[in-house]
Amino acid sequence: MSEYMTVLVLSGAVPLVCSFYPPLRFYAHYKSLLYSIGLIVAIFGTWDIFATWRGHWHFNPQSVWKATIVNLPLEEVLFFFVIPFCCIFTWEAIVHIKDKLS
Amino acid sequence: MKEYTLLAAFSVVAALLANRLLKTALLRKVEYYVFLAIILCFKLAVNGYLTGKGVVLYNERFFLGIRLGSIPVEDFMFGFSMVTMSIVFWEYFKKKT
Repeated sequence: MSEYMTVLVLSGAVPLVCSFYPPLRFYAHYKSLLYSIGLIVAIFGTWDIFATWRGHWHFNPQSVWKATIVNLPLEEVLFFFVIPFCCIFTWEAIVHIKDKLS
Repeated sequence: MKEYTLLAAFSVVAALLANRLLKTALLRKVEYYVFLAIILCFKLAVNGYLTGKGVVLYNERFFLGIRLGSIPVEDFMFGFSMVTMSIVFWEYFKKKT
């Protein structure tokens, strides 16, 4: 596994497992989840493609797989799926806890 | 003006504007600030690793060159915009459906 992929798996594994906790009813809104992540991928993916093309940053070939989408390593594209998922899960968990406390 | 700096600053404005236009009112919710604090901790770990270990390498020509540890300040703006927009979109679509 590439170094970057390891970071993604470590970031996403716990939120993914916890998102199935029944009282959260997280996937009752799966369409909202798909639309939200889709928009983030479109907006920030476009920015990243531009920035990589301009040379704002680049990726260490030692730390990523060779597979790319446009000019981004596969892991960098997956980042825009994994991190918004983690964020939305965290948000729902906070809202859930707040509702339980009040 | 440095390109990455400019884009990052613009993204913050865009995220706040999205929150306003889509009427998600995140800034008035306590949960949003709890959310930002929690995400910041994870951001420091993930972004700190990616920049500290040189998985992602930045060209000095395009950013201010100011870093918190190994993380360019612009990354904090990029991160803020991305996590804020994620919640703005989620709340917006959830409200609509």
